[in-house]
Formats: sequence, C-alpha cells, structure tokens
Amino acid sequence: MTDPREKLVVGAGWQEKLVDALHGDNVRVLAPVLTEGTAEFREISAAAEMATEWINTRTPVKAVLFPRTEALVEFERRPGEDVQFTAADNEAVPTVVLGARPCDLNALDVLDTVFNWDYRDKLYAERRAATTFVGVACTRSDEACFCTGMGGRADDNEGSDLFVRPMPDGGAVLEVMNERGAALAKRLDGAAPAVGTEELVPPAQVGAGPFDTEKVKEWLDTHFDDDFWTDMSLKCLGCGACSYLCPTCHCFDIVDESDWRKGQRRRNWDCCSFAQFTKHASGHNPRPEQHSRCRNRIMHKFKYFIDRFGRKACVGCGRCIRVCGAGQDLVDILAEITTAAS
Amino acid sequence: MQDLTQLLRETAEDLLKRKAVGVVIGYGHTGSRGDMTAVFARTPQQVSQLALDGECYRNLAVYLNKPEVRKLGRCAIVVKGCDRRAINVLIRENQIAREDLHIIGITCEGVGDPKMQKCRFCTVHNPPDCDTVLGDPVDIEPEEGEFAAVEAFETKDIDARWNFWKEKLKDCIRCYACRQVCPLCYCKQCVVEKNIPQWVETSSHLRGNVMWNVMRAFHLTGRCIGCGECERVCPVGIPLGLLNQKLIQQVKDKFEFTSGMSADEKGPFSTFDLGLDTDDGIL
Repeated sequence: MTDPREKLVVGAGWQEKLVDALHGDNVRVLAPVLTEGTAEFREISAAAEMATEWINTRTPVKAVLFPRTEALVEFERRPGEDVQFTAADNEAVPTVVLGARPCDLNALDVLDTVFNWDYRDKLYAERRAATTFVGVACTRSDEACFCTGMGGRADDNEGSDLFVRPMPDGGAVLEVMNERGAALAKRLDGAAPAVGTEELVPPAQVGAGPFDTEKVKEWLDTHFDDDFWTDMSLKCLGCGACSYLCPTCHCFDIVDESDWRKGQRRRNWDCCSFAQFTKHASGHNPRPEQHSRCRNRIMHKFKYFIDRFGRKACVGCGRCIRVCGAGQDLVDILAEITTAAS
Repeated sequence: MQDLTQLLRETAEDLLKRKAVGVVIGYGHTGSRGDMTAVFARTPQQVSQLALDGECYRNLAVYLNKPEVRKLGRCAIVVKGCDRRAINVLIRENQIAREDLHIIGITCEGVGDPKMQKCRFCTVHNPPDCDTVLGDPVDIEPEEGEFAAVEAFETKDIDARWNFWKEKLKDCIRCYACRQVCPLCYCKQCVVEKNIPQWVETSSHLRGNVMWNVMRAFHLTGRCIGCGECERVCPVGIPLGLLNQKLIQQVKDKFEFTSGMSADEKGPFSTFDLGLDTDDGIL
C-alpha cells in the first residue's frame, strides 16, 4: 500500500463518464467482459459492457503488454531482388485498462524488471508507456486466491495509476497514484458527486495460505537435489496452462513463419514445463525429466528471482491452481516445503 | 462407496506388500482443497491416500506414458470402463504390455456432478479384462445417443459451423494441455515440436491454432476413445470433444470400428491389407 497523492469521491455513473471521455480522446479502453462464465479483457465501447461481478479475468493483464503472439519483423524476397526486411506493424496504441485486479498489477513489477534488465525490450516498453492501469479492489475472492500470502492484499493500490475502491451505490473512492492517474482523474471533472456516506464495499477476505515464503526460500537454497521434486512432479503432465496464464511468467520463443517468398519473425509465449524448452541444438537436454522442469518453475518464482531482483515472482492470483488439469496446487507445494524446512 | 475405498486399499496394500507392483496409480482426495487427483502409492503405508467416489473423472491411463512413472516399476492402475479402453489402444499400439500391468477396474455409473456428457452415452460401465474388479456390475441404458451433440451441431449451416470454430479456436493459447492429458498422445516428440522444418505453426494466431487443433484431432482418428480429458482440461474452454466425437462417428460409419473395445483389434489407419482394398486408389 502506498499513500495516494490525492483522493476523489465520485458517484454512480463515473465509469460511463470516463469511458466516454476516453473514447472522445481516441483512447482504447480494455475492461473485463463476461464471456461464457468467465471474464476476459476486451475492448469496450461503453461502460455497460464491463462485468460487474467477476473475481478475476481468465487471462492476466500481462497479455496487454506482452501478447501471446506478435510479429517482430516481416521479410520478403521478390524475384531478382535481395530479401527486404521491414519492421512489423506493432505500434503501441494509447490504452486504458479499466478494472485490473491488484494481484495482476502487482505482477507488472516483475514484468517491468525483467523486460528492462540487461536489455530494454522496445515493444514492451512502448506498450507500457502507452497504457494506464485503473486497478479495482477485490470485493470477492475464491478458494484459489492467496494474494495475502505473497504480501499483497485484496485492496492493494500498488501498481495502479488510478485505484478504485467501490462503494455499494456504484460510486467509488478513487486514489490518484501518479501523473498518469492524475491525467485520468482530470477526465472525470464534473462527474456526479457521491451521495451519502463514503462507506466502501468491504474488501474480500483472502487467506494467506499455510506456508512461509521465507522458510521456502531457505529450503530452496539448499535443496536443488531432493526426492521431494520427484514426488511433487509425478502428477504434473507438463503442459503450459499454469505458465501461460500466470501474470508473472514471461518466457518467450522466437520463430520464423514463412512460405517460400515472404514471412514474419514472431515472438510467442514459451514455458519451462515443456520438455523441449531447454533442449539444445546438440540434442542434449539439461532438464530431461518433468521433475527438473517442475523444480525450475518453483525455483524461479521463489528463489532465483529473489536472488537476482529481490522479490518473489508470484502474486497469489491462484490461476495456476484453477487451470491445472492434473489438480496440482501451488499452495500445497509451498506448504509442504514449509513443513520440510521447519 | 466407503467400502469400495476400503477394498481398493486392501488390494493395493496386498500388491505392494508382495511386490507384485512398484506403484498403484489411483485416485485420492489430495491437498488442502481435497480435490480428487492422481495418487501414486509406492509403499503399503501410502495406500491410505487412495479413495473411490463419483469424482474419479480423470483418465489415469495418461500416466502410463510418463517415463517418471514407468521408472517406479510394474504398475497397478485404477480404471473406469472408458479409461480401460485407452489402455487397450496403448496395448494394441505396442506402448505397454498387458503383463506389465495389474488393472484394477471399477464399475461406474458415470462420474461428475452433473454427470459428464461422455457418461450419458457410455456403454462400458463394466471395464473388461481386469485383474481385479471392484464394485457391483452396472447395467444402465444410455441416456442419449452417442452422437447427439454432433448431430445437434450439424443442424447449423457450414458458415455458422466455421464461424463457431473460428471463434473458439482463436482463444487457443497453445499450452498443449489437450495433448499432455491425452493417454493416446504419447509421441516422444510431437510434430508441432519438429522445427527443422516447422511443420505446424506454433504461434497462437488463428491459422496456427486451426492447424494445431485439426491436426491433433486427426492424429486421434480411429484411436480416440472419447474420455473427454482434452476438453476438460482446456483452460480456455474449447469444445474439443465435439471435434473428436465427429471423427469417432466417421470411423464408426466408414469402418464399422469403435476404438479401444479390445486389445487385439487393429485400428483402421494402422492396418494394411490389400485384400480389403477394393478401391483403385490413385495408383
């Protein structure tokens, strides 16, 4: 939690006003939209399209900044000419993301870190600069949520440019966190003032989980080789659902797709659970079995990232638990490691 | 169901104690949430993790393909009728030998609440050719036709069907959960991972997604036993079962063949018999 620069109290109808004002400015507005029982970020043309009751989107907000596939370069060879290269058309579009959850916005810190570490990722950086995030406090959670165990909370304003604390009557307390948030708040000048009290919808109660991340880190520091990894990974089927829908996972692969004349170089999500992820051109694979891949996933989030960048690469959104077809449960894995460390 | 759980534990304990198997692959309510997931009992003490109830919807046969599981020794495996059919295909395709398995069949009236769609037209409530069978024989009639969903879908015109699939397949994130959970997708290297040259585009744009999903279904033609695991695990809700069911229907119609009913059967696409070939073909 950070103290906001400024607070604004707005009455019901503020979202309509904001969305209309943004469309007037030719800004793309993305918001959670309900689709077949789940919510996804979609471009909306009116605030009424936005979901009112949702826990979290199926796909994390990372996909706005780091899409699952994107063209980097286009190439073409015309008869009698050399190959021509042109930059792909992926100019960042001015965007406001309305209704992102605190866990997902917390995860942007991980993405910002890794995409600006030894190399500034141009495409990520341009989209980041063109996007304003309006976070909203969670008023509901489900049994997979464990943000509090990762140091977050259901009403954490960290990572938001403008943060929304909903009131029961449709109004909200808006917290301006930075310049970008202030610019958005200006577009709400003249919004209907709130009526009555500034009573908030109480934030969701999220359990912290039966684990201790400090103990987990201590254990991981000294247990690269341990039978635990074989045991915990037997169930894992080695798909990429947990990584792809994780708000902090950021690995990618670069591929060329072409017919014999022209094509594209593309960047696609990739995943350390895949058997081929670490396979060398020689044929050697340093992570030949599933347990070494499962271990990497845990180590990366709860040890390597901390060693290198000083923070965990998990925000407790619970998506990996919700989507796992094998019933693998990260909270249980962390709890078992905590027990082993005690 | 409690007594069946007890019987299963006793069976498993006996197998492990006399070292007839190295592992019993079964179901159990694991973890803090108590979800019914796979359990790998390797010692007599671990059999207390095993359980049986109406939530045994996973097809555990997929684990027979995992090198990490095979390393544990001879396998005992808990199967429903549908899962048993998958093992028949693995045997007929020489992926596992019958004698390397102790099959613990459970009779099944259907799983899930509400009952999964595949259970509504199931005809294999009593798994055949098992070493141990738990549960009373089940004799219930199918609630709907095997291809009811396909037939309902095919009342739409071709444009509507294509638009439906485009809309669904555009969401595919290429996590390959469908492939990984499939007991019959056992290739050491999937064709989508062969990249010299790249046969199937790995990008999750519509073209790549259509190619992947159609190819996955095609490779299961005459093999898929309709356990529905691919559809169950798809994180973006693509109705893959509908695609599989269409191919099952075609194979039944053209070849009078239903996959997985016996380990001795020969799949239509793995049979070469000139005597049966009455077509002039292209040569």
